[in-house]
Amino acid sequence: MNLDEILGSATTSSYVDDAYYALLQTDLTEWRARGTPLADPDLEGLILHENWLLDRRAYEDWFDLYARECLYWVPNVDVLAEEPPTLGGKPTGGSLGYTKAAVRPHDPRTRVAIAFDDRRRLGDRIVWLRTGVAYSQLPPSATSHVSSGFVRVPTARPGEVKIRSQFVCHEIRAGHPVRTLAGWAGHVLVTEDGETRIARKIAALLDPDRTHLNLSFLL
Amino acid sequence: MFTDLVQPDRVHRSLYTDREVFTREMERVYGGTWTYLAHESELPGPHDFVRRRLGLRPVIVTRDAEGGLHGLLNRCTHRGATVCRDDEGTTARFVCGYHNWTFDSTGALVGVPMRKGYGPSFEPGSLGLGRLRVESYRGFVFGTLNQEMPPLEEHLGYAARLLDQWLDRLPGSRLVVRHGTHRLRYRGNWKLTYDNSADGYHPGFSHASLLRMRKQRYGVGVDMQWTLGDVDNGGQTVTDLGNGHTFLDQRAEIDSYWESSAPMPGEQAYEAVLRERLGEEAERMLDLAVGSGMNLNIFPNLLVIGNQIQVIEPFDVDDTHLIWYATSLEGEGVPEELTALRMRLQEDFPSFGEPDDLVNFEECQNGLSIPEMEWVVTHRHLETGRSHLDENGNLTGPVTDELPIRAFWRRWTELMTSETKLVAR
Repeated sequence: MNLDEILGSATTSSYVDDAYYALLQTDLTEWRARGTPLADPDLEGLILHENWLLDRRAYEDWFDLYARECLYWVPNVDVLAEEPPTLGGKPTGGSLGYTKAAVRPHDPRTRVAIAFDDRRRLGDRIVWLRTGVAYSQLPPSATSHVSSGFVRVPTARPGEVKIRSQFVCHEIRAGHPVRTLAGWAGHVLVTEDGETRIARKIAALLDPDRTHLNLSFLL
Repeated sequence: MFTDLVQPDRVHRSLYTDREVFTREMERVYGGTWTYLAHESELPGPHDFVRRRLGLRPVIVTRDAEGGLHGLLNRCTHRGATVCRDDEGTTARFVCGYHNWTFDSTGALVGVPMRKGYGPSFEPGSLGLGRLRVESYRGFVFGTLNQEMPPLEEHLGYAARLLDQWLDRLPGSRLVVRHGTHRLRYRGNWKLTYDNSADGYHPGFSHASLLRMRKQRYGVGVDMQWTLGDVDNGGQTVTDLGNGHTFLDQRAEIDSYWESSAPMPGEQAYEAVLRERLGEEAERMLDLAVGSGMNLNIFPNLLVIGNQIQVIEPFDVDDTHLIWYATSLEGEGVPEELTALRMRLQEDFPSFGEPDDLVNFEECQNGLSIPEMEWVVTHRHLETGRSHLDENGNLTGPVTDELPIRAFWRRWTELMTSETKLVAR
């Protein structure tokens, strides 16, 4: 798609409903599983190409990698957090212990995210970046996305492929120090119009619940 | 002391760049007046706590076994280590990890290992955690170290009435502040945020990206388009509420909240569900997904904007964290779908609005470093005769009037020059 096409596309949002949110909870359960090292170079190639397009800031081409019903999700909490067993029971008191808040299951219906972009909001984001007056990206962030450790994770969903990987993203905006953002990513891939497309991406930062400087670029 | 630096029509750049000024602010401004700490819904049950800051002071806000609220200084009275190292949780006891001195949720010292090692003069009763004076207004918990401050509601004045209006959009509902945060940081002074909080001059320019994107994609009726053009002749106003509290009112520009809302994921899906289930009542619920059209700023750190609660957390003279707390409504007849829509809409401005402001704040900080360019100009509409006392006796002006900034500096100067002793009890 070119920018003019994106301007007029997906200006309503109808697929993010209860069933869709329930699907995201299923995803979280499935992401926990042991994966098998990815043997399919085409699937790995798609994620590497996504990185390349993001680093080139080729947002319109990047948008084309996503399915008609899609999600780009950067949570603000460790969505896989579980309370660890503690030798001798939990520490007394509030210090050093895991809190109930830290292990609260993540449901975006009741929690805001750093980014929760359906197809329409992704369109907004691209058009916003292309207005030429988004000061948070003037000058733009230069990024280098590195992904590794690709594994295929089993899924019960027919027609979907789940790929988990580790990412490191170096980012620099002129006048600012280099930053490193890291974590794991999950890509749910589907076949649409004969092409493999990204239906859902989660970028799970190492420090999602901490305060971040300018995050107006894409992970 | 600051009369040369805070003038009626301008303020000196050093107030944004001088670390000595910052250090004094953290002591005298945060701590010398009622400062926002937490919302009661964040600590709903006995022994719940949240970890916060009062200026640079580490603080714990707790509920005791009976539900009473406490503001405790997070500092062991033995050697000074923090006794609470979690952001939130539930505990009847705060145990210092260093020597296990133990404090209860009221701050009292209740445990000292090998206590016989202290002599007969040892008085646990005088070694409880330092305590703030704490009061709550309709769930908003404030603390201070100034024992001479008037009661909180009196101090809030007309800001309390506006907070009532903000809270009572759905009468009988309760505000819930347990939906996560956007935690944004910028390399600039904290006051750049307060300057911006009732600044109706900037949106058409600083937010040109947001406004342009929305207009081109959705047309003229959507999302804050009333901030474009000659806004001085529009319906928005700014008001000085006293004690540094300020207000920017957009409500006169809003005909239909839902129709003029920014877009949100799931909008059409849940709109259809709610209209089907609730009939005409759906309109009122959908409006509640959308921001209030109010920017209510409680000096020095609480900004109630849209449906969100923003809290300014200064870390250094040029390092500020701006925490946006998401909110929902709880109560009879409030549908779950409304919460989901509110979550999605509360992601919009932190994504497409605030980042541009924060970069402009950083560029202010860069520019303010120049010693030879000394002044920040704060006199917009000071001489135009457009401001007047409103029906409540508060000074009100057109939305680009910089009267809120001047009101801020008056209160700031009072606190920075006050000799009142600040004490932890």
